[in-house]
Amino acid sequence: MSESKANHTFAFYLGCIAPNRYPGCESAAIKTCKKLGIDLVPLKGASCCPAPGAFGAIDLNVWYAMAARNLVLAEQMKMDIALLCNGCYKSIWEVNHKLKHNKDLRDGVNEVLKEIDMEYKGTCNVYHIAELLYNEKYVGVNKVRDSVVTPMTGARIAVHYGCHLTKPHKDREFEKSIMLNTEHPSWMEELVAAIGATPVEYRNKMQCCGAGGGVRGYDIVHSLDITNEKMINIMEAKADALTNICPFCQLQFDRGQIEIKEKFGISYDLPVLHFCELLGLAQGMSPQELGLDLHAISCEPFLQKVL
Amino acid sequence: MMVEKKKTTTKKTETKKQEAKKVAPVKQEVKKQAAAPAPAAQNAVAAPGATTQKDARIGVFICHCGTNIAGSMDIQAVQDYAKTIPHVAYVDNYKYMCSMPGQTLIQKAVKENNLTGVVVAACTPRLHEPTFRTATKDAGLNPFRFEMANIRDQNSWVHMHDREGSTEKAKDAVRIAVAKAALLQDLFPKSVPVEPAAMVVGAGVAGMQASLDLAAAGIKTYLIESDMSIGGRMSQLDKTFPTLDCSQCILTPKMVDVGRSEKIELMTWSEVENVEGYIGNFEVTIKKKARGVMTPKEAAAKGIVGGGCNGCGDCDAVCPVIKPNVFEVGMKPRKAIYINHPQVVPLIYTIDFNACVKCGLCVTACGPEKRAIDLNMQDEFIKVKVGTVILATGYDIFPIENKQEWGYKRYENVITSLEFERLICASGPTGGHLVRPSDGQTPMRVAFVLCAGSRDNTGIGKPYCSRFCCMYSLKHAHQIVEKIPGCVPYIFYMDIRSFGKMYEEFYYRIQNEGAKFIRGRVANILEDPKTKNLHVYADDTLLDRPVDMEVDLVVLAAAIEPKADTNRTRKLFGVSCSQDGWLLEAHPKLNPCGTTTAGVFLAGVCQGPKDIPDTVAQAEGAASAASIPIHMGEVELEPYFAQCIEEKCAGCGMCVNLCPYSALSLVEKNGRTVMQVTEAKCKGCGTCGGFCPGGAIWMQHFATPQIVAQIDAFLLGGEE
Ligand SMILES: Cc1cc2nc3c(=O)[nH]c(=O)nc-3n(C[C@H](O)[C@H](O)[C@H](O)COP(=O)(O)OP(=O)(O)OC[C@H]3O[C@@H](n4cnc5c(N)ncnc54)[C@H](O)[C@@H]3O)c2cc1C
Ligand code: SF4
Ligand code: SF4
Repeated sequence: MSESKANHTFAFYLGCIAPNRYPGCESAAIKTCKKLGIDLVPLKGASCCPAPGAFGAIDLNVWYAMAARNLVLAEQMKMDIALLCNGCYKSIWEVNHKLKHNKDLRDGVNEVLKEIDMEYKGTCNVYHIAELLYNEKYVGVNKVRDSVVTPMTGARIAVHYGCHLTKPHKDREFEKSIMLNTEHPSWMEELVAAIGATPVEYRNKMQCCGAGGGVRGYDIVHSLDITNEKMINIMEAKADALTNICPFCQLQFDRGQIEIKEKFGISYDLPVLHFCELLGLAQGMSPQELGLDLHAISCEPFLQKVL
Repeated sequence: MMVEKKKTTTKKTETKKQEAKKVAPVKQEVKKQAAAPAPAAQNAVAAPGATTQKDARIGVFICHCGTNIAGSMDIQAVQDYAKTIPHVAYVDNYKYMCSMPGQTLIQKAVKENNLTGVVVAACTPRLHEPTFRTATKDAGLNPFRFEMANIRDQNSWVHMHDREGSTEKAKDAVRIAVAKAALLQDLFPKSVPVEPAAMVVGAGVAGMQASLDLAAAGIKTYLIESDMSIGGRMSQLDKTFPTLDCSQCILTPKMVDVGRSEKIELMTWSEVENVEGYIGNFEVTIKKKARGVMTPKEAAAKGIVGGGCNGCGDCDAVCPVIKPNVFEVGMKPRKAIYINHPQVVPLIYTIDFNACVKCGLCVTACGPEKRAIDLNMQDEFIKVKVGTVILATGYDIFPIENKQEWGYKRYENVITSLEFERLICASGPTGGHLVRPSDGQTPMRVAFVLCAGSRDNTGIGKPYCSRFCCMYSLKHAHQIVEKIPGCVPYIFYMDIRSFGKMYEEFYYRIQNEGAKFIRGRVANILEDPKTKNLHVYADDTLLDRPVDMEVDLVVLAAAIEPKADTNRTRKLFGVSCSQDGWLLEAHPKLNPCGTTTAGVFLAGVCQGPKDIPDTVAQAEGAASAASIPIHMGEVELEPYFAQCIEEKCAGCGMCVNLCPYSALSLVEKNGRTVMQVTEAKCKGCGTCGGFCPGGAIWMQHFATPQIVAQIDAFLLGGEE
């Protein structure tokens, strides 16, 4: 299997949860993208995005300034940013969008950045890797299908979109032009089908994972209650695994199942994989290479089914 | 009059030259053009006493418009300035120039000061040009000696907080208007005869009512309907609010009247293909789509005595092709040869040639006597001449599946209100039994989602209120309470808009009948996969708590939108639309039936959402307006025609091809080829005048010297 020549290069923004909790997501993203003609170059010196729930909900100015600093790092590299987390997308994409369109805000943020000899110029764009994979301009479903060496035939996979990538609908530009709808989208299902698996519909698939907006940190029982409802709906659809495009959602579903077992006494043992991890398997990478052994819920039953 | 006009010819040519000399040059070429003598034809319409610029005496009248203008600028300063403008012989101001005292002021001033032209600085020509033209005429001047300076809409309203700036801008506007007024000529509108016939496009309740009124006034009316039968949306309804009379019972007699009227020529399965001409003389090409079935009249014309479709339905019985019936919103099958419903007018079958396999079974079934079916029928094109037109093309239902959170087309038991109408209607697919599509069971809990896609600022739905969904949903709630004992309607609403006569009372009545009202927008609907019941999620904003309501059936009161082909239709007739896509009336309050195209009128929902009472009222208004020119027998055309200055015309013919209205042609005159204008066709757009390389085209009322004078007045600040 030859790696296609890289014709797009992005500054890869890692965020916090991927490198700390699911390093497999990070390696999966870099390796799968490479095979699809996308070079991910580390965005050196990046900080936390910062988390939209933890910062954005408490002090907007801190949120703007920190996100702007990450953006300036990419501007200095003269590259657009690619990232793999919905929460990071909310912070970095949205702050970029706001700063580009609001001069007063931009001036205020630059006032702060001056202290560290930086200036936000608004020259870079921000993309989620899932968006790059789906958008034909970069990769597209067909190229994803062509990159598959081990089709995930027979695997029933439930899809979790997460919230921040697609909402609020009003200002998410990519979603309007390419992915069309936020209330019942199907583009992730197309990607799942492209790697040979069967996407399964389940009740209320657009429901939140339960973690976002600071709920996980503030009220874990309430947060798990939401996760549990999603798990019930997914299990009803007889899924073999759940795929997502956000390490924070992944954390909530993966570790959350352990916590649900402890708190509510219910066990589901449903493997949870970031789409990049799933794509890595389909592209013939080993589970160790993709860090699947580091998940809280064992991926073994799923791996036995598909490999 | 004629003699006098001729007398002025030579004098006018000279004076024109003098005027042009006085115009300060902006560019050399412009100056050259400006120096063109007015054409002979032009001079023929100039009245005796036409002024040169030299002896022009202009009166300037500044309006306060209450505080609309006076509140944002210094009227006295504008007045003082106006006195200093060349040619200004009189200046005055008044609180409301358009009022009777205001108009009298103009008349008095013209007579006492021997004025030759009038400038009113006020609102817009759109609003009050006709008013002040009449005042100018009453003062004894030619009405085209009036010029307006817009110091309200484009000045005081936009520069409300810049008193100094708006005062300066008003001075400019007055100076520019005076420059033109000094060069204005007498013009005389032409009258053209009006074809004593009308056309109505669309045969819903609006189009039918308008046609019946026109027919009653003795006017021959062509009623064009694109569907195979008439009645529009109203024929799909069961009962009508707030009186609850049966829609069919009040509509079918009208349908029969339309079919029977000798004055109405009904053309169903037909569309407007092309429109030429202008008020009084529209030439419309109608496409009669191939219907595959002949009416008795058409059969007789082909020599088939006693033949043609009698609506027996023998063909329907044998046709092997099955398709969903669109009239029943797809909930009932029909054949390739079909009628919408048993009460159709006209009762003539139609073949859906997209579905027909041309097996010929229907031809055999129809038999050798009737011989109604012609599987090789072709589209036919018919030309008719009419004096006026009414557009009554109605509406479509917004594709509510685009609001994916409510699951229409994903969940079987989520239906639209139009589907509800057919399901509750005795002649509908279930004989009037409301059932759940998933299992045919009678629902006992029904949720109604109001403003579904209306009043929606997400960019997916429509920002406007669809205006009749509150009321018909109340009607629906009543119908299920009445028909299904124990069934509870839950109405999710933002606010109930029961604005019409006896509507609020109807709302109270439904409350008392046991309908439950929840004030909150439905966020999401989820289906229970086992029972196919639905969970409706909303925020109850009165009790301030989230709602999860399990129901058996959900009815979406879907928004409405303009017909898909509205843009094509409106362009054929030169009518505009507002930003939401509905056809644009000439004035929202004072001319709701007219359009900016003379002779074209609007009726019904095509102009904006409205219920049946409002639709019928507007239809009657449109019919009355459309009958006026026909009864007058002739209409005046604004005299803004292009004129050819024959001495300068090289006969190149470039303008002939440019004219969007085909108003120009080349003719031989005195051994030369020159351009000739068909005045009645010319809309005065100026395309030819702006183009002509030899400056041989004179645009009446917008002539080059007049426009150059305005530009100079602006650029040179009044200095020569
Ligand atoms: C579910 C529902 C329930 C309702 N209940 C009530 C009620 O109880 N009481 C009430 O007052 N109102 C009610 N209404 C509103 C009512 O339907 C409208 O007020 C009314 O039908 C408007 O009539 P119209 O003639 O303007 O339009 P339409 O009924 O839409 O008629 C337009 C006609 O023009 C034809 N047409 C369109 N384009 C062309 C073209 N280019 N060339 C030729 N023909 C064309 C169409 O085929 C159609 O026959 C209800 C509406 C809905 C959706
Ligand atoms: S010819 Fe067409 S309309 Fe007639 S029976 Fe056959 S399919 Fe039906
Ligand atoms: S009529 Fe009532 S339901 Fe319809 S859009 Fe207006 S407010 Fe909403």
